[in-house]
Amino acid sequence: MSRIPRPDRTLPAPAAAAVAVVLGVGVTAALDLALLWWAALIIGVAAAFAFVAWSGPLVPDERRAGADGTKEQGTTLHTTLVVPTALVLAVVSGLLSAWFLDLSLIEPVAAALGALVGSAVAFTLFHRLSAMLALSFAAVLAAGVIAIGVTAAVLFFSGIPPLPTFARMIEYGTRPNSLVKIINDGTTYYLAAVAVAIGFKMKLFNIGVDGQYRLAALLAAAVGGYVVLPPVLSQIVVIATAVAVGGAWAGIAGYLKVARGVSEVISTIMLNAIATGITAYLLSTDRLAVEISTNNIGTPPMPESSWVPGIPAGFLGSEQEIFGFVLLAVAVGIGYWVMLNRTRFGFELRATGQSQSAAEASGVNVKKMVFLSMLFSGMVAGLVGLPQLLGSSHYYALDFPTGIGFIGIAIALLGRNHPVGIVFAALFWSFLNQAAGILPFDGIPQEIAVISQATIVLTVVVVYEVVHRWGRRYQQQQIGNQLGATAESTTEPAQAVPSGTASEDGSADGGGDTAPGSDGKRDGEAQ
Amino acid sequence: MSSTPPGNGALAPPAVELRGITKRFPGVVANHDIDITVAPGTVHAIVGENGAGKSTLMKTLYGMHRPDEGQIYVRGAEVRLNSPSDAIKHGIGMVHQHFMLADNLTVLENVVLGAERRFGIGNRARAHIRELSSQYGLGVDPDRLMEDLGVGERQRVEILKVLYRGARTIILDEPTAVLVPQEVDELFDNLRELKREGLTVIFISHKLDEVLSVADEITVIRRGTTVATADPGTTTARELATLMVGGELPVPELRESTVTDNVVLSLDGVTVSSADGRAVVDGVTVDIREGEIVGIAGVEGNGQSELIEAIMGMRPLTSGTISLGTDDITSWSTLRIREAGVGYIPEDRHRHGVLLESPLWENRILGHQTKAPSVRGPWIDRAGARADSERIVAEYDVRTPNIDVIADALSGGNQQKFIIGREMSGSPRFLVAAHPTRGVDVGAQAAIWEQLRDARAAGLAVLLVSADLDELIGMSDTLHVILRGRLVAQADPTTVTPEQLGSAMTGAGLGGGDASTEGDSGADGADRNGNEGGS
Repeated sequence: MSRIPRPDRTLPAPAAAAVAVVLGVGVTAALDLALLWWAALIIGVAAAFAFVAWSGPLVPDERRAGADGTKEQGTTLHTTLVVPTALVLAVVSGLLSAWFLDLSLIEPVAAALGALVGSAVAFTLFHRLSAMLALSFAAVLAAGVIAIGVTAAVLFFSGIPPLPTFARMIEYGTRPNSLVKIINDGTTYYLAAVAVAIGFKMKLFNIGVDGQYRLAALLAAAVGGYVVLPPVLSQIVVIATAVAVGGAWAGIAGYLKVARGVSEVISTIMLNAIATGITAYLLSTDRLAVEISTNNIGTPPMPESSWVPGIPAGFLGSEQEIFGFVLLAVAVGIGYWVMLNRTRFGFELRATGQSQSAAEASGVNVKKMVFLSMLFSGMVAGLVGLPQLLGSSHYYALDFPTGIGFIGIAIALLGRNHPVGIVFAALFWSFLNQAAGILPFDGIPQEIAVISQATIVLTVVVVYEVVHRWGRRYQQQQIGNQLGATAESTTEPAQAVPSGTASEDGSADGGGDTAPGSDGKRDGEAQ
Repeated sequence: MSSTPPGNGALAPPAVELRGITKRFPGVVANHDIDITVAPGTVHAIVGENGAGKSTLMKTLYGMHRPDEGQIYVRGAEVRLNSPSDAIKHGIGMVHQHFMLADNLTVLENVVLGAERRFGIGNRARAHIRELSSQYGLGVDPDRLMEDLGVGERQRVEILKVLYRGARTIILDEPTAVLVPQEVDELFDNLRELKREGLTVIFISHKLDEVLSVADEITVIRRGTTVATADPGTTTARELATLMVGGELPVPELRESTVTDNVVLSLDGVTVSSADGRAVVDGVTVDIREGEIVGIAGVEGNGQSELIEAIMGMRPLTSGTISLGTDDITSWSTLRIREAGVGYIPEDRHRHGVLLESPLWENRILGHQTKAPSVRGPWIDRAGARADSERIVAEYDVRTPNIDVIADALSGGNQQKFIIGREMSGSPRFLVAAHPTRGVDVGAQAAIWEQLRDARAAGLAVLLVSADLDELIGMSDTLHVILRGRLVAQADPTTVTPEQLGSAMTGAGLGGGDASTEGDSGADGADRNGNEGGS
């Protein structure tokens, strides 16, 4: 880059951004006449990115450091990883927004607007993307590629051509009705994953989300079906019931952990089994249930005044409706983020999750935190069944979806417990579920989606952890470098890394902490 | 002080020879031009300050990473060590500072773990362990459960593990850090036994008295390179210390007394019991006044940690009371105690002091999460916490690019300076300082002492627990000796010597004319805590 001549003056950031956007949109619009829209858009965004990269050093920007604060421009990592990642992300976001807009707008306009988004993202990412974040993205991309590769291999060895199968899945998965279904399922998955993630942040493994939401949904449905209340109040009562039941059910596990030291993994698994028993007991015509159809029983359907209206999905070209609960899921996501990053409670929760001993020494009441986070996790878990209950089925019957709690665990892992990461993970997961629905018609086993899902969770967890460790070491070296330190800064952190990660027993973070540490390796090597 | 090997190495090829070893990490040279020749059948000590590059060098020798330049010769032949198993193949074994043993397995199982192919896992292995144990005088019974063994025995098991794998050269990384003086003596007897049997020991330490008493030859490392080779017979601890630091050592000392009559913290008959009902802190009664630093000397593991945890409300008292000013804080929670103006510099900063994976400014909040400027009501005050972190970084000379780096990226000394800055903020009334300069380089050490002095002058009451006797003597207004949970002696820091303190720490009493001395270092194993400063 440096060999290309540049004018000897600075360029204000807004001007550079504007030029980049105009360039991207212009190139795209022009090429759109000759090429397919996506090809035009890729070239357009790439052109905008090239301009941004060229003009980068001209833009005076004090904050052009990574979030971790190290100067990154010009380092090997920056040129080999951060810049390409930024380019890929810019192109992908441009393509995605163009495709999405294409559903309701005419193609040239959508392509141009997509190019606008892509160019803007290109400018922002080039200047703002930190090495650590880029590493995370790169890790997820790599994991995705590996997972697709494994799935393709499985298909290939089963005698099914992989590429046409993928094409078929994408085609079916992006149909308007599929999109609505993906968003609706994603909403449910999102809530489940946030419930799990609250526990994960504390290194608590709430496996019981499944039992919590089923019990909560059953009792909430019963309240909604038997107690007739005016609109709004009715919904509030139903939601409050679900939250209370979910919280109480998880609270039992939290209490046992705090008071008796019972592992929450064991107690929540047990509570799942008990919840299954209780729902089966209650869901009989002698008790809460009534006959819904010839061979299905459930709670009495709620009056229409208790329903949560859907959002018409005309903008996606579908007649179906998106669950109104998607807004509640968004609110839960924002609440989760605010709680975690902006409140004292969230700080104490993260501190306890990172180092229980340090939290204790700092005056955090660890037992209280364990109980409360279990409680909150259960309260969010109580919401999981509600989109389905209030938005679609309006009663809890034998065919109410089960197993969402376990999907939530996978999605929380995939989304790295981050409120935004989980959004993508949940949508991706439900996309795979939905897209695989077409496969039986072609005589291809639908389980292929399950294989992809399992592979991607495994690869993301492993690749992410590896990249994260590597990135941390890199960062330490960068800082050592920057401070011009001598031997001191290398020996100290090198010893600190194993002690920091190995001290946590990894009970919560699944594969997160089980990657081979230097301690674990030693005995094996000793032969 | 030349770097040529002593005469006795001339007959046999050196057990290990390092030539021009250089190891770079990106941007940092951890080791450069290291030349060491270790004669067979000797105890060769490598001394250097924390962070001088000893560990990096030993990792190179144990094959944990490859040197960028230089050669390693084992018994005269050049070798390439790509992994620890390569090192073991060439007869080099390492005993790590932190034991790597499974508590719920027997000695036998621990020893054969990973080396099952040598003698199986049954009677053949047991017999071999017995044989090694008696040959080298280790006194290890292969069928005892690891959890029943004391620290010294565990260390001997670690040595046995290395011997079992056929090592002829054993690297011991700071082996005495975890031992009490008697165990140190036993370890040194074991080392002499190993030497007699023709094995070579490389002994890493920064405790000069120990090194002088056990080593046949000493190599000094400073700033990543070998600066000198010394003969323990003709060198003093002070000369070695000067070599290690490359200049005059800073000396901890207090100027005029600032002690007032106002008692800030008062312990009255404080007793803490361990899980099995044994009193680990036994009837400790002490008053700490405004402007006073009270030092607690003692061999590690004699109740210091428990005493601190009791004061901080992290451990319940069996009996006794703790008062802060006029308040009885015996049953207060840690948070309430901290809010009442008690600062805490923990002995293990990674476990108790910082969140390694959180940025510095979040670490500013830790322990102060209920007070301004960290929080506003239930909300985290990001701007306030960040501004105050900037202040700490500037005032306490924390070397960091900015306050957004994670704590783990800083060196130990800088982490410690940040912790001290944090604990001093909000003008505490009382400070618990446990090993405030442990693992900290000399420059930071002097800065930390200066800050403690300033705070003391401003009326802070400090409880100082340290393993560094010079620090204790130099910094304390009043000095107590703790032994098996009891305060057994009170010493006057203006007159007491480290030797007297060392003998009191082992229960011999302060009068201690019986501190059996070896060489001119002026202390035996009992004074194992004498740091680089020597005596």
